Amino acid sequence: MIPSIEFRGVSKFFGNIIALKDISFKVFKGEITALLGDNGAGKSTLIKLLSGVHMPSEGEILLSGEPVNFKSPRQAVSAGIGTVYQDLALQPLMSVTRNFFLGREITKGLFLNMPLMNTITKKEMAKLGIDVADPTQPIGTMSGGQRQTLAIARAIYFGANILILDEPTSALGQKQQLEVLRTIKKVKELGDIAIIFITHNDMHAKLLGDRFAFLNRGKVLAEGSRDEIDMNNLRPLMAGGAELEKLETEFSGR
Amino acid sequence: MASDERIRDIGLIRRSISRPELGSVFGLIIIVITFMTLTSISGTFGAMWLNPIGIQAWVELAAFVGILAIGASLLMIAGEFDLSMGANIALAGHSFAIFLLFGVPIELAIILTFIELAFLGFIIGVIVVRTGLPSFIVTLAFWFASRGFAVFLSQTFFNQSRLSVKANLKPPPGGGEDPTLIDNIFAFDKAFGVPFDAEVYYFIILVFIVAFITNRTPYGNWIYASGGDPVAARAVGVPVARVKISLFMISTSLACLLGILTVMTSGASDPKAGDFRELHAIAAAVIGGCALTGGYGSVVGAVLGALIFAIASRGINFVPFIDNNLFRVMLGMLILGSALLNQFLRDRIVKG
Repeated sequence: MIPSIEFRGVSKFFGNIIALKDISFKVFKGEITALLGDNGAGKSTLIKLLSGVHMPSEGEILLSGEPVNFKSPRQAVSAGIGTVYQDLALQPLMSVTRNFFLGREITKGLFLNMPLMNTITKKEMAKLGIDVADPTQPIGTMSGGQRQTLAIARAIYFGANILILDEPTSALGQKQQLEVLRTIKKVKELGDIAIIFITHNDMHAKLLGDRFAFLNRGKVLAEGSRDEIDMNNLRPLMAGGAELEKLETEFSGR
Repeated sequence: MASDERIRDIGLIRRSISRPELGSVFGLIIIVITFMTLTSISGTFGAMWLNPIGIQAWVELAAFVGILAIGASLLMIAGEFDLSMGANIALAGHSFAIFLLFGVPIELAIILTFIELAFLGFIIGVIVVRTGLPSFIVTLAFWFASRGFAVFLSQTFFNQSRLSVKANLKPPPGGGEDPTLIDNIFAFDKAFGVPFDAEVYYFIILVFIVAFITNRTPYGNWIYASGGDPVAARAVGVPVARVKISLFMISTSLACLLGILTVMTSGASDPKAGDFRELHAIAAAVIGGCALTGGYGSVVGAVLGALIFAIASRGINFVPFIDNNLFRVMLGMLILGSALLNQFLRDRIVKG
């Protein structure tokens, strides 16, 4: 199967700073690729390369086997890459529906088609397991998990077939984290979306990941499917550093 | 949707508590009752509330401040300020008068003045958006510059700061009582013998249009999003910079409308025209529930705020036993109280 998105030897330099060095990994549709790494591992830079904010300094990014070169976030979005950032890009004082359609409103003539937008919002949220009772309420009234779901549902509705989730569980309480994990599972079950799940929570990665990529100090330490990676070593892999040598021998021995 | 058992019947009271205008509705009721009581005590009830001249006094002020407050509230919802509105009234009036004195036909003079002021708004907007300077600072600069430039021009060309254009304004059709009054469609009030100044009618029309735009169009959505969280808005494709620039252009155009109307009705352009009106408009917007931090507020609220301001402002003249200076004290407290009330109501929304 051709990967939905593939990084081949991608590097990114900012002046004399090496943010990412020789990154390679693959993401397939209908699968969750967990991208693990500690703070400062280069996750943010990677997201920015994926979402068209930055262009790689070296190497290439392939979209369904075709090399691409996003010059702007807009290009990445129209190529079907949807990024759900940690801050979710939501407006707390605006309604659920208005948030869902912000920037891409459905109009009837000059005016907003609120009934249609309300219906779609309810339907799309229900697909991911959230029942929105009243989509005209401000999203300030929703839980953190529900907001995350809203941001994900929005990205999918507007054509994302590669969904990048930037630490979707990190800012939430336990119960809401589970809610979000359930949402991500539902997205996977839709079948045609490739999910890049960025996290530093090895438990969450283990629960959901079909493939894993470990990022440490700008480099991919290991990459592979569930079978190829020793699940018990997720945590040390993430920590990198001192464990590095030990793991290298382990993987070269497979 | 109606059969959804998860919809709590929150009732009219709880539902309306999440409207930004709520505070100003209370405020208006309180102000009206207060001044009805005070005027009854001083025996001037009829003069303020029933006499056409008394009603004109506060309705026309409300319209004047209200037109500016439309611009002020739109900008505040988008997270910006325009302190130069009052000064731009003088700039528009002087520009219009200078065009007339140079022999430009009145219709063309109106169009040119609007283009000039819209361009000024464009410049202000571009400076704010490109430099990232707070609009408070940028428009403070134009608070000085606009009025200064207006007076400089009139001094240079006509050697006077107040420009009389009575001779350049055509008499009304069929003569009329005052040959200096305007017969054109633009300032139609006296020409058609309607009871209020043209401002009042423009005001009512504008309120409906703008309220509709803010609530029912994508552009209205973008205004709220630009002020609520500009980074988030940009991330979903809202053209935040363009929205803000367009709002500064609306703000200067509204000042232009008032500047031209003032010249037309008074027959002269005064360099003091619109002095401090920007603060009155911002006060109306704050009373009407606009958050200084952006993303929240309503044009209808600002309109109610303008009404509150005007009733309090003119009403004090009908209540001789209260010192006129106390009005400013009262207005100050009114702004403070409204801001507190609105903050409380806003918190209620986020907490649900």
